[in-house]
Amino acid sequence: MKLKINLYIAVAFLGLSLSSCSDNFVQEDPAFVIDSESFFNSESDFQEALIGSYDLLQATYVNVMIGEIASDNTLAGGESAVDVPGFQEVDDMTHTPVNQQLRDLWNWMYAGINRTNFIMEFKDKVDFPNKNQILAQNRFLRAYYYFELVKFFGDVPLSEDKRIQFGQETSIDRAPVSEVYNLIERDLRFAADNLPYTQAQKGRITKGAALALLGKVLLFQNKFGEASTVLEEVINDGPYDLVTDYNSIFESVGENNIESVFEIQYSDLEGAGFGCLQCSEGNVAVGFNGIRNYSGPLFDSGFSFNVPTQEAFDAYDPADIRRDVAILDINTWADQTGATFVEGFEHTGFYNRKYIARQGDLNTGDANLTNPNNYRSIRFADVLLMAAEAFSRSGSGDVKARLYLNRVRQRAGLSDISLSGSSLTQAIWDERRLELMGEGQRFFDLVRTGEAASKIPGFVAGKHELFPIPSIEIELAGNRWTQNPGY
Amino acid sequence: MKKNVLLILVLLFGGLTAHSQNGRVTGNVIAVTGGTPLPGVNIVVKNTTNGTNSDFDGNFILDNVKQGDVLVFSYLGFKTIEVTVSSNIINVQLEDDTQALSEVVVIGYGTQAKKEVTGAVNLVSAETIAALKPLRFEDALQGQSTGVQIIPSSGSPGSPLNIRIRGISSNGNNRPLIVVDGNITEDALTNLNPSDIESITTLKDASAAIYGTRAANGVILITTKTGKKNTAATFAVNSYVAFQETPRKLPVLNATEYALLINEARTNAGQTPLFNDVSAFGKGTDFQDKVFETAPVFNQDISVSGGGEKSTYSLGAGYLSQDGIVARDKSNFDRFTSRLSFTTELSKYFTFNTSLFYTNTKRKTINESGLGSVLFNALNMSPLLPVRDVNGDFTLAEGLGNEVINPLAQIANTFNESNTNKINGTAGLKFKLDDHWSAETRLGFNYSLAKAKFFSPIAFFGSGKVFNNSRSSVTEIKDDFNDYTWDAFVNYKNTFFEDHNVEVTVGTTVFKNHGDFFNATGFDVPNNSYKFADLSLTNNNLADENFGNGQFEERLVSYFGRFQYNYSSKYLFSFSLRRDASSNFGPNESVAYFPSGSIGWVVTEESFLEDNDIVNFLKLRGSFGVLGNDRIVANTFRSLLSGEATAVFDDQLINGKAVGRIPNPNIRWEEQDQLNIGFDLTLLKNFEITTDFFRKTTRDLLLEAPVSGIIGSSAPGSAPPFINAGSVRNRGVEFSVNYKTKLTKDLKLTVGGNFTALENEVLSVNNDVGFVTGGNFGVGQEAPSRMEAGKPLGYFFGLKTDGIFQNQQEVDAHATQPNARPGEIRFVDTNQDGVINNNDRTDIGSPIPDVTFNFNLSLDYKNFDFSASAFGQAGNEIVRNFERNQPLTNKNRSFLNRWTGPGTSNSQPLVTTGATSSTLFSDFFVEDGDFLRIQTIQLGYTIPKSITQKAKINNLRLYAQVNNLYTFTDYSGFDPSISSGAPIGGGIDPGFFPTPRSYIFGINLNF
Repeated sequence: MKLKINLYIAVAFLGLSLSSCSDNFVQEDPAFVIDSESFFNSESDFQEALIGSYDLLQATYVNVMIGEIASDNTLAGGESAVDVPGFQEVDDMTHTPVNQQLRDLWNWMYAGINRTNFIMEFKDKVDFPNKNQILAQNRFLRAYYYFELVKFFGDVPLSEDKRIQFGQETSIDRAPVSEVYNLIERDLRFAADNLPYTQAQKGRITKGAALALLGKVLLFQNKFGEASTVLEEVINDGPYDLVTDYNSIFESVGENNIESVFEIQYSDLEGAGFGCLQCSEGNVAVGFNGIRNYSGPLFDSGFSFNVPTQEAFDAYDPADIRRDVAILDINTWADQTGATFVEGFEHTGFYNRKYIARQGDLNTGDANLTNPNNYRSIRFADVLLMAAEAFSRSGSGDVKARLYLNRVRQRAGLSDISLSGSSLTQAIWDERRLELMGEGQRFFDLVRTGEAASKIPGFVAGKHELFPIPSIEIELAGNRWTQNPGY
Repeated sequence: MKKNVLLILVLLFGGLTAHSQNGRVTGNVIAVTGGTPLPGVNIVVKNTTNGTNSDFDGNFILDNVKQGDVLVFSYLGFKTIEVTVSSNIINVQLEDDTQALSEVVVIGYGTQAKKEVTGAVNLVSAETIAALKPLRFEDALQGQSTGVQIIPSSGSPGSPLNIRIRGISSNGNNRPLIVVDGNITEDALTNLNPSDIESITTLKDASAAIYGTRAANGVILITTKTGKKNTAATFAVNSYVAFQETPRKLPVLNATEYALLINEARTNAGQTPLFNDVSAFGKGTDFQDKVFETAPVFNQDISVSGGGEKSTYSLGAGYLSQDGIVARDKSNFDRFTSRLSFTTELSKYFTFNTSLFYTNTKRKTINESGLGSVLFNALNMSPLLPVRDVNGDFTLAEGLGNEVINPLAQIANTFNESNTNKINGTAGLKFKLDDHWSAETRLGFNYSLAKAKFFSPIAFFGSGKVFNNSRSSVTEIKDDFNDYTWDAFVNYKNTFFEDHNVEVTVGTTVFKNHGDFFNATGFDVPNNSYKFADLSLTNNNLADENFGNGQFEERLVSYFGRFQYNYSSKYLFSFSLRRDASSNFGPNESVAYFPSGSIGWVVTEESFLEDNDIVNFLKLRGSFGVLGNDRIVANTFRSLLSGEATAVFDDQLINGKAVGRIPNPNIRWEEQDQLNIGFDLTLLKNFEITTDFFRKTTRDLLLEAPVSGIIGSSAPGSAPPFINAGSVRNRGVEFSVNYKTKLTKDLKLTVGGNFTALENEVLSVNNDVGFVTGGNFGVGQEAPSRMEAGKPLGYFFGLKTDGIFQNQQEVDAHATQPNARPGEIRFVDTNQDGVINNNDRTDIGSPIPDVTFNFNLSLDYKNFDFSASAFGQAGNEIVRNFERNQPLTNKNRSFLNRWTGPGTSNSQPLVTTGATSSTLFSDFFVEDGDFLRIQTIQLGYTIPKSITQKAKINNLRLYAQVNNLYTFTDYSGFDPSISSGAPIGGGIDPGFFPTPRSYIFGINLNF
């Protein structure tokens, strides 16, 4: 009898264990996670995804650095000849399809594009009154990222309103530049049509930003007539003006001022590490540009990259108040203040003063990666000079061109220019260099104006206008794409 | 007093009464071979529960025995005998059961006689552990098992050790499955006290396949100590104290040499010398002397075990405290362990058993094993700088780059502390119907709560230092982990027609682990002091960036069966099949089947080898099976909004949502097939030889492979998808021999040695570029390690050197090399394109040793015992990566032999502060990693029993021991035995915290 009871118990516990656990046990959905395919159910979902689209703006610090290092404005610098070889090679025009910084740039811009397309893919899922405002910001961001890609690489894989999913990368071709520009223009016109000139939050994209970027995009395509119209709309209808004190623009007090048309916002509130530079909320370029092992007033230390050349310094009229704002003569500064520093590689005695680390931030670790200096992506001065150029090159607008050019010159403490024709165009180009020194625009200005070969040592016409697509990216996409010429 | 007398009288009288009625039998038990007394022999009157155990000298006393009763003498490893009682004194000799090799091996969901095991299995016993004095259980495996490599990740107290069974078979997780008393334990085993362990069994081949998708890295089965039935309480006390010191200091330049070389380096770069008169500098500061110290270890264990007729118990507690040889106040480890094991027969059919452990560990750590770590800084710090300046403040390491800081200032500003409480255990019920049918179910669980606190004070170490901190903060972390394993299985065994032995096991197991973690950072710690470093006192801005939480969960359901058959213990056969369903894979791929089979032939059972004096035992074995590895990040087949989305508006961080890791819905487990052929041989009674040949091929390796950037995998918080895209093969031979003999009546000798030769080769990497990179070298250089077909996993990929340019003609004659000049390293133009660049990189070494080997020796002479062990490896390379190469950082003394002009050196380049290519990753930085380490030397003395027994002490032993006495090696770093353990990127030495040399003094006491 007792044996039987024991047997029953034994059979019961085994049977229970064998039957209760089926494969369903391993197929339960995990707790507290959101599936990406079941999102976008409300306006707040769209708003949250839009933050994701904005996030990659901060990663464009590398675009800005390369735009400067590749030009005649600065040398790569750093600690030694092998410190960030990707920058060194770009500086020397010896860059090849193997370049980590160019690959980062490529990957980060596509990360941004995929995030904007994530929203676009689900844009019709629900309706709410404010949706076009969200889509307008989102489409501006997509245009911004594609414009960066087209500037650096020319023809690039294009996807509109659909993420490129894992597995699809081997069936997508490089789209011609014209197609990419077509999408960029459509996106920016949509953004301009659906955004206000002023947003409640600083850092949000505005109508002025969309129009100004559109003007720039048109200028890059030599569509001078269209560009002049769009840019003049910003000048006439926008709430922008030049700041009187040029120096104040690049200090923390000058952030999001009246001259700021589009500004990429950075913060020192969150830590960052070298493992994920694109994750930093700080301006990584500022730490990289900073003075090597600096100890003294006003500035903070950095890695001594992106150092201005003597020629760039000498390009300024000594009366030009912009020179000492744009370029720090470190030896003079050290003599004046008793500051100390260490000479890095390719030490020129100059630093890119607009974007080197300042004291007074939180120095959240790693302090070199979390500088809060905003990047002034489009300043009103840039808009004026672009408008001047568009009018000048459209062949019929020298008066307006001189008007806008001289507005910029007057603020710099310089006398008016009365040139016309191609000499006026050249003067505008030269002014762009001086006004926008250190702001990452120089290389692309030289390329689009055809001046690069004559100004940049080692620049080979027909090759260096575009950067090479990282060879590993070509391979990973199934070797469908031909490399840019010359590489 | 009166009462006591009465009691004694009653006892005496009672005893006499008993004696007069049934009689007392006394006697002695010894072994046939050697005549040594056998303690702990189980002696029972047949068919009764009346029994006892022999004492330390083999003596026993058993009451209530009648003439004609049959006494059964049984002892593990000896043949059981029965003796009919015919007198009051019975002396017995037990015969070694070598023929039966009755040692029992735990094989997963059951046990098996060692003789009948057909897989490749290693066993480490409690005796071995007692001899080695390991701080951690992994140390007990070091040098004791063929095919098992123990690789410390650091020598700092409490740092993890990596176990690798038969090489590295995955680019991902290579940790074997560890099962403690049937309880699968996935987290670190820092909490296990080695002296609680009864045995460690390692399943190396397809015999592990009964663990299915978790078995590909091998399985380690740990059994903890239990009591024995019908024994009085036995106490064991083990204590020791140890003093540790660094086994090595690296030769770096003293102040005078340093100043001379700095001047020369500047001259070579066209700069003016920095120091005019170097003669006054003397030796300067030796920062290694300043950071290394002598540090103690204390260990204390106590345990008691015993048992009655139906129940057994064992209880123990232990405390270990170890300080680090660097920064002993800031780098140390404390462990308190306690355990309870209890078994009882509930009825004729049911036995209940449980074991429970509680442990608490505390650990403090310093910055180690990386750029800017304490030892790295000690090596690179200028010897001209004192530790403190004239004001008594720590010297600022000005001019030494951004990472090198004063290591003592660094230690003073380091506050990292963690505290883990853990409870784990098992409870099980065994049902035994008869000799054929039995069933077992058990529930194992692990719970741990880990807390950690990191305080970063405001600190300034010099201009531009990455460690400078202008705002103090404290981070607190709380993680909790839970898992449970539920096993239930039925066993049937029977013998048919006398010789056909069959055993079948069928069962199921369910595993689930889950946990959550939480961390928060607060700023502006009051008084910049650790005393006030608590979130309750800080400015807590619990915005997302200062706050994190999350959770994880994994589930596994499995069914398994095993069929074992042998004919007369001569022809052996075993087959097992396991079906796993895992939550780590997508619904389409979640189920896997893992079959394995093995055969064996005990040749010595054949008549032609019977009763032969040369070959005492010979068994040939072969096994083949399929195993899996499911250790990947959970939920990788799903697309989750786990990415990072943060933007700045109005100077505030605003968080949103973004896609995390790119999903791969078709992800599946890694699959491995493993073939093993081997034999076990006993020759001339004393030589035991085991040899195994194995080949294991892992396919469908889970790679987080580089994928095209256009799918957005580089977004913050995103990552490339996992793909099944590679295969690796490990082939090798394991050989071990042990020799035991008695040289004289009092002198016993045991000698053993073993080696494992292993060849690791990546067979394929099926991403589009054909390789995966990893590891770090220098600053900003390309990843130095690769996984690539045709090469060992994680081989070093860099430039090959070809001596030093002696003169300008040699420079001109060579391919175009950046910064080439006389005195620079000449690199080989591997692809012969006339230019030295990245494309000339090639295979310059492997972190995987070709051979690992171990030696053990023990000698017993009367009351003295001596043991020694050594282990080593050969055929691997190590990358030296602890030189910062800044203009003013210190250098190794090897630079005294630098190139200074034509013909001066063809191996050590010139020194320069200018542009140089000599710092590029090349074989200049790759060294032989061969070493042989004298791991332990121990001398013990047991106080004669004649003395100790007066104090009721069974055994009292004193010993002295040296661990890590000396390492023979040409490697120039601190410790060639240490590696990060990364499959791709291991073998790179950033100045690892060395394994200390320790001098141990201890006592073992049993009563």
